[in-house]
Amino acid sequence: MSFLTLDHLQKSFGATRVVHDFDLAIEKGEFVSFLGPSGCGKTTVLRMVAGFETPTAGRVVIDGQDVTRARPNQRQIGMVFQSYALFPNLTVAENVGFGLRVAGVPRADRAGRVAEMLDLIGLPDLGGRYPWQLSGGQQQRVALARALAPRPRVLLLDEPLSALDAKIRVSLRNQIREIQQQLGITTIFVTHDQEEALSISDRIVVMHKGIADQTGTPAQIYNQPATDFVAGFVGTLNRFEAEVLDAARGLVRVEGAEIALDRPLPAGRITLAARPESLRIAPDGIPAEITGVEFLGSVQRLRARAAGREVVLDRFNEPGAELPSPGAQVRLAAPGAGWLVLTG
Amino acid sequence: MRRVWSWAALIVGGLYFLLPLIGTIEFSLRMRRGEYSLDAYRSVLSDPNFRATFSYSVAMALLTIVLGVLIVVPTAYWVRLRLPRLRPVIEFITLLPLVIPAIVVVFGYIRLYNTSSVLPLTGTASGTNLLLLCGYATLALPYMYRAVDTGLSTLDVRSLTEAAQSLGAGWVRIIGRLILPNVLGAVMSGAFLSFAIVIGEFTMAALLNRPAFGPYMQLLGANRAYEPAALAVIAFAVTWGCMGLMQLISRLFGTRIRPT
Repeated sequence: MSFLTLDHLQKSFGATRVVHDFDLAIEKGEFVSFLGPSGCGKTTVLRMVAGFETPTAGRVVIDGQDVTRARPNQRQIGMVFQSYALFPNLTVAENVGFGLRVAGVPRADRAGRVAEMLDLIGLPDLGGRYPWQLSGGQQQRVALARALAPRPRVLLLDEPLSALDAKIRVSLRNQIREIQQQLGITTIFVTHDQEEALSISDRIVVMHKGIADQTGTPAQIYNQPATDFVAGFVGTLNRFEAEVLDAARGLVRVEGAEIALDRPLPAGRITLAARPESLRIAPDGIPAEITGVEFLGSVQRLRARAAGREVVLDRFNEPGAELPSPGAQVRLAAPGAGWLVLTG
Repeated sequence: MRRVWSWAALIVGGLYFLLPLIGTIEFSLRMRRGEYSLDAYRSVLSDPNFRATFSYSVAMALLTIVLGVLIVVPTAYWVRLRLPRLRPVIEFITLLPLVIPAIVVVFGYIRLYNTSSVLPLTGTASGTNLLLLCGYATLALPYMYRAVDTGLSTLDVRSLTEAAQSLGAGWVRIIGRLILPNVLGAVMSGAFLSFAIVIGEFTMAALLNRPAFGPYMQLLGANRAYEPAALAVIAFAVTWGCMGLMQLISRLFGTRIRPT
């Protein structure tokens, strides 16, 4: 029996259906990300869990208790917002202690728990400050401490890193993951940033037009995308039109080069795709012309033109290895498992 | 050349406002023939009616502020949170007291709540006080609503509300503990404007026959020579004192919450 169950959730605003039949079971202590472009319904699902939206149909069950109709302030859920939403008239300590105060925790216990939380987020000395005296990253950590202080059953993170600059975003996301694992709290994290989702999640739900396209571990999402949308949204893809030569044995032809995929295929024309790190320059393969070379330190990124499209190749830097120069004619290949077959 | 004109405009404007004031002050000091004295002020301040009407109006002003805050803060908050599309409508409604003369409002009250009506508020003194209080709150509505709404616009009302809800807070706590303190500066400026309006209000108090400061000023003005001038100066000082306080308090609360 899972800890948090979203059972056939649906939500419509007027005639517009924002969430279609969303089904998900989350285990206790699991970190699940909802990943998708804006308007895909991920935030709406999160808000239904929080109680800020009422589902048109379906149920939200937390720890065996149906909370679908429960008010937000009765759900024991911690939430962190993109805009921090700290209470500007309260100090950091008062902000963190707010939920405890609402719950009627005595003053002495409250102070202890607040100190514990401030330690957890690494800001033990800032209890007396006001939110406007803190940086964005500090404010968001305080917001996290505030959400965690009353020991919520579920932690909801609504794009908590989107308002921060790049460097702080990475360090804070690692800190969030550390704290989450330390406390073992069931967490839903909403983001449109695939790198964020891939790096900290136990499981990812990729959402598209109100539907969960695929649910799986970061590696499954990246390596075995279930739909074309997932394949295109997570990571970079190089697409090639291919002609199926032998459907049963999985033999196709792209621009005159034959590729063996070792899996059964539909007959006719299909779209093949390969990740930049799967493609490599080979003696035999799809003809291409190098159009640009970027040296990114640990990675070399080659841009090329093949079969009338822009193609990107990534490879690890090897000291001593020569970079091809723009204009060079090369051939591109990928191992059979590196090819994704897109249906659309 | 441009400088000269702006100075000229400033001086003309200054004279326009200051001369009558100086004249009034000067006149109020001339009660004793041939020399300046504070006799007129002494006479006003020793009049028990002055004290009675002034404290009545102060009490009414404070109650008006309380009633205004109780009506306006939750309304403005709710409109911003849940009915943002209704904001222009609500704004228009709150502006109506500026367009509808007080005398129309008070005649409406008298017709609706007279002794032969369903709710005979004018039958008793406390009932009439209540009616007057409601009238004052209506008069103060445009200023109060505007001030509070501006204060709310500096907050992310929706996120703050949802954050508080997810922490278990109910509506009373959200409004009392989070929204009100954060718009206190704005509430204060609305409150002092309301105070100034109520202290000098004549029409409603006179027609409802309540012993307020406005009718007292009028009565004194009709019967005495020097005292009305002294009274005008006192009323003026009180009003300016309120304005100063308003500035001070909003600045004080402003710095506590935000540096700008």
